[in-house]
Amino acid sequence: MFIYTLRSVRASSLSRLASILIGIVLVSLLVSACEGSPQSPPSSKGTSTTTTTGGFPTTPPPTRVPTFGTAGQVAPTVKVLGSIAPTLIVQFPLFPAASIKTLFPNATALVTVFQNPDANDFDTVTVDVQKMPPNVKFTVFYTELSSKPFGHAEYVGDVFTRSDGSGESVFHLITFVAFAADNRNAKVTSNDQSGEASGIQLEHVGMWFDSVNTARQVLNNPSIAGTPFDGLAGPLHAGPQAMTDGQTLPVI
Amino acid sequence: MQLLRRAIISSSLVLVMLLVVAVQVSAAASSTPSRRIGNSRFLPAVTDVQTVPYNPNAERLRQLQRQGRLAPSVHIMDSLPPATIIQFPLVPSGVKQAFPNATGQVTIITGNLDNRIDETVTVDVQNMPPNITFTIFYIELANKPFGNVEYVADLTTRGDGSGETVFQAIAIDAFAMDARNPGTSQDQSGTTSGVNLEHMGMWFSSLQDAQKVLNDDSLTGTLFDGGNPPLHAGPQAMTDGQTAPVF
Repeated sequence: MFIYTLRSVRASSLSRLASILIGIVLVSLLVSACEGSPQSPPSSKGTSTTTTTGGFPTTPPPTRVPTFGTAGQVAPTVKVLGSIAPTLIVQFPLFPAASIKTLFPNATALVTVFQNPDANDFDTVTVDVQKMPPNVKFTVFYTELSSKPFGHAEYVGDVFTRSDGSGESVFHLITFVAFAADNRNAKVTSNDQSGEASGIQLEHVGMWFDSVNTARQVLNNPSIAGTPFDGLAGPLHAGPQAMTDGQTLPVI
Repeated sequence: MQLLRRAIISSSLVLVMLLVVAVQVSAAASSTPSRRIGNSRFLPAVTDVQTVPYNPNAERLRQLQRQGRLAPSVHIMDSLPPATIIQFPLVPSGVKQAFPNATGQVTIITGNLDNRIDETVTVDVQNMPPNITFTIFYIELANKPFGNVEYVADLTTRGDGSGETVFQAIAIDAFAMDARNPGTSQDQSGTTSGVNLEHMGMWFSSLQDAQKVLNDDSLTGTLFDGGNPPLHAGPQAMTDGQTAPVF
């Protein structure tokens, strides 16, 4: 009886010990499995004012407002942001052009142009729009003049609006020194932010309906005429200007 | 005692289940992202995608090439629709004597033409003059007088003469125009507004660099760079060299 009880107790203890050991092993495996799963890298978005160790900065780098163009030669709507050297960041709004002003008076657009002059393969341009005609494709052009007849123009990209009239596009291409030229007349020059330069400077930004049919439908006006402000087949298949920087002086 | 034993067994089972779930989640999360497309969690097995679906835009370009309306140097890739990918070489022009082995390769990726916002253009060069900044232009004609032009990007070579740049802008339907009198021209899609820019070239951004690199003080300035002063750029360095359009 005693032996039986002893054996029983020993068996019970062994069983409990084994169960505990299995439990520990399983918990360890679970922890290691969780640790082994990929995690997003630690956010680097924290402000540099956060105290860190290992000699990393604890204060943000100094910023400065870089020179952009010469005084009186840049549109008053252009804001040059204070940024870390050597970057240049300018922002300016686009306003509803005559075609959409009545139906979409609250349409807004913001253009942001980023440049690092030390590594300047191209500029980065972001166009953000709000309260525009919904579900419509617009083309973006750099132009010689902000209003008719617009003059020389360069097709940059497109912006699609969502159902709420918002949209955004990002382009990477030469912007601050964009120009139009025909090399058969290489001696044509004009003034840009840096002085006299080759070609005709393209220093304005505008958006156009990419389809005159869409414009007619959206603006409820079947008499709207086509324009050349889109590529591909069908000359003059684009619609009227939708957004303009509206400035006489350059914005880019 | 029995209660304790049941509790131990139950917790072990729970732990086993948690372990299995954790391992599955871990395996799914660590699978390659490229295997996930849209709503379908995984692509079919590799053997299934080796049959490339019909790409109407690529086929249209091949037809244009057969008709001589797209340059023979253009390689139209077997890309999955709706993407269309073309590649073409750039060959030495102004640098031919001093850098005969210079090569350039242009890759243009286009999405669905109905809803793309721009194209992605990659320019890779090798064996070029080292540590020099070149400008990249879309041009009306591959050779002089080049005609209408559009300045799109720069490329600065490394010490070994290699370099690359990637920019995102309209390429396939790039055109130049004066809206006062836009006119029309032909591109791959038919008659369009403006003057189509269907060639690409690279220029020395600085005449001085070109004179030094090419050891030729008689070189004259060109307009192929932006900013002050006029005609401060050097000669063309690389060209697609084609009569028919390359894009």
